[in-house]
Amino acid sequence: MTTAPTSSSTKPVESQDYFAVFGLPRKLWIEMSELEQKFLQMSWKLHPDNFVNATEQERELSLKRSSELNDAYRTLRDPIARVEYLLAIEGERKEGEKKQQAPPELLEEVFELNESLDELREAKASGENLAGLKARLESAEKNFQGKLGEVDGELQAAAREWDAALKADHAERKEVMARLNELLNRRSYIRNLVTNVTKELAEV
Amino acid sequence: MGRIVGIDLGTTNSLVAYTVEQTGQPKCIPGPYGATLCPSVVSIDADGSVIVGEPAKRRLLTQPERTIYSVKRLMGRGPADVQDELKLFPFRVDAASNNVIRVRLGNKVFTPPEISAFILRELKNWAEAFFGEGVDRAVVTVPAYFNDAQRQATKDAGKIAGLEVLRLVNEPTAAALAYGLHEKQRGRVAVYDLGGGTFDISVLKLISTSDGDIYQVLSTNGDTHLGGDDIDNLLQAFVHEKILQHDEIDFSPHGELAQELRRALIGVKHQLSEAETATLRFPLPSGKVFTHEFTRGAFEALIRPVVDRTMGPVKQALADAQLKPSDMDEVVLVGGATRTPLIRRTAQEYFDRKPHTELNPDEVVALGAAVQANILDRGVKNMLLLDVTPLSLGIETYGGAVAKVIPRNSTIPASAQELYTTGVDNQTGIDIHVLQGERELAKDCRSLARFTLKVPPAPAGLPRIEVKFLIDANGILQVAAKDLRTGEQHSIEVQPSYGISDTEIEHMLEESIEYAEQDFAERQLIEARTEAESILAATAKALTNPESASIDAAERARINATIAALKESVAGSDYKLIRKGVDELNHATEHLAELLMNSAVSSALEGRKLAEV
Repeated sequence: MTTAPTSSSTKPVESQDYFAVFGLPRKLWIEMSELEQKFLQMSWKLHPDNFVNATEQERELSLKRSSELNDAYRTLRDPIARVEYLLAIEGERKEGEKKQQAPPELLEEVFELNESLDELREAKASGENLAGLKARLESAEKNFQGKLGEVDGELQAAAREWDAALKADHAERKEVMARLNELLNRRSYIRNLVTNVTKELAEV
Repeated sequence: MGRIVGIDLGTTNSLVAYTVEQTGQPKCIPGPYGATLCPSVVSIDADGSVIVGEPAKRRLLTQPERTIYSVKRLMGRGPADVQDELKLFPFRVDAASNNVIRVRLGNKVFTPPEISAFILRELKNWAEAFFGEGVDRAVVTVPAYFNDAQRQATKDAGKIAGLEVLRLVNEPTAAALAYGLHEKQRGRVAVYDLGGGTFDISVLKLISTSDGDIYQVLSTNGDTHLGGDDIDNLLQAFVHEKILQHDEIDFSPHGELAQELRRALIGVKHQLSEAETATLRFPLPSGKVFTHEFTRGAFEALIRPVVDRTMGPVKQALADAQLKPSDMDEVVLVGGATRTPLIRRTAQEYFDRKPHTELNPDEVVALGAAVQANILDRGVKNMLLLDVTPLSLGIETYGGAVAKVIPRNSTIPASAQELYTTGVDNQTGIDIHVLQGERELAKDCRSLARFTLKVPPAPAGLPRIEVKFLIDANGILQVAAKDLRTGEQHSIEVQPSYGISDTEIEHMLEESIEYAEQDFAERQLIEARTEAESILAATAKALTNPESASIDAAERARINATIAALKESVAGSDYKLIRKGVDELNHATEHLAELLMNSAVSSALEGRKLAEV
């Protein structure tokens, strides 16, 4: 581990947002093969391997720009990370704001699921027969997997709306963003549920 | 500036390689004995001089308390990490300070980077003798699954050895570079690298672009405590037990005996790569000879746990790359341990294709390092390597949980920014704990560093400090902080959790200069004398063996004359003369050695007959 230099005489280069790194508008639909092509092309130019014999300033700059390129590619390549990032730079989503409360329409099913999970843990502890519980949880897992798919579908639809509203007025954009944000929260909640169930079932 | 060499700093052997300008192909540089492999063994003589490589390896048998092997297993680790290790190795670890291991060799203590530096310096000397000019920059390979502390320790070792480490390259990636140049492969490649002490699996994509070829690592996984050594340990434990069934021998105080057994077993292991059976004949202090015939089947059953342990990381790496075994276009086997037929078969069955083994598995990593050195030196402009960080980087949050800020398998360099503020009025510091690993809780991850952000007094929540965590192209972390209200950059003094401070390195560098100043001839002399002493001791021992009585007077006289001549040249300072004397004595004792060997074998057979009666 090294300590970063205190100050550098390099003219500060302002960090660009990840869309701008690739010269892209802030649209959620991205042609993946084009993104990869651009990423590879820019890697040739920016990678620190090209600057081993260069001045310290150039080396610093290469490190900064190439890490930015890699961060941008990593984020934009993943459709969910891409939406999260867009909402963050548009000021709609703040760090740590993820709501972990159950979406109202799912309350009943979540309640049932949690009950089954508790029963499973108890049954495991007392060595009871788990077959019935296991089947019930497996069907719940499948049910929530399906819901995850639905949310993903809704997210895609909202993303298309965002792209269409790119030039629209502030209020309209704000409304789409709020919907995207709500969908992201719902998705993260359901995903956690599925992960937990999968984990518990794997331990049976 | 001079040339950049590529160095494979291995657990068992180390090598140095360069790119031949005329052909553009990488090549390993031979040492003074003509071999390209330098055993990663260091011995400190009674007079304080340092012996590295083949002569040091011989001293494992004669002076185990002054000699250390497999030091790579201790790099970047704390004393608590290596307790299990120490049960198997005859290392003497001194009371540790600052979480740094210190190994005692004779009456001196050394940190693992200092010992690795002796090996690096030896290789630097090989390269300098070969080129006839100074070499001070290198690309050094590390296991892909090495964490930040282990990488930093490797870089420190370079610094202490007087080498600027321009790049740390992951070993499986280096192997892919060497194979890529050799085979002109395209598509998806899995590199399975089982070395002496570490296991890595990397999944790469080889892409042709109009600018040239890109080697993009998609995912990597591994175990930094799994290797050929573990196979040897299993064999050794198995045979120990067998011997103890017949004979009451306490192995541990006999450092020498354990080392000799290990060496004999490694011979058996190598034979079993070619033959279906191999026999161990091991002379015991009682004069009896222990024999055991290994079949390949029994050997494979014994070592299967080691092979099975490699499969977890293999599956994880494929899952992370979102690929199936059948998606791989090529499979490459690297590392001496992959000569084992069981490993070749396992890889072939899992990936359902014949793995590449064309390049010498001992040399391929060093060759790849030389390719990367040539890329950095701009000798080759149409190759680019994009590697990844093997472990997620995280920050400890409230309640001992870890927030992942850079996920594993992110292309490096990679960075993450985190915003911090204060919780109470006039708070002057924010404690930050950086970790590496995949687990959810801080206590289960590897601590990289702790530091305190200094904050000017202000009402709670007002300060806004942005901390930037950056993993550079070597996989090493850098930290910088910026006060967003003032725009001021903060310097962060990061004290690594496991590692040596910069001032300590400076000190070691100064100390090491005395070693550097021993010139080439002087070093040759020390090595030649060591070699001579070891063969003189072995011959003296052989001559006192009752079996040696059967050699005739003429032969005995000839041996004695050669001994006298060698002793005389050892007293002098011409290393070439000493080497010649060693060769002559080796030659003169050939028949004697054969005689003793045969008698050992026949007494073993007699022993068996007695037991059968």
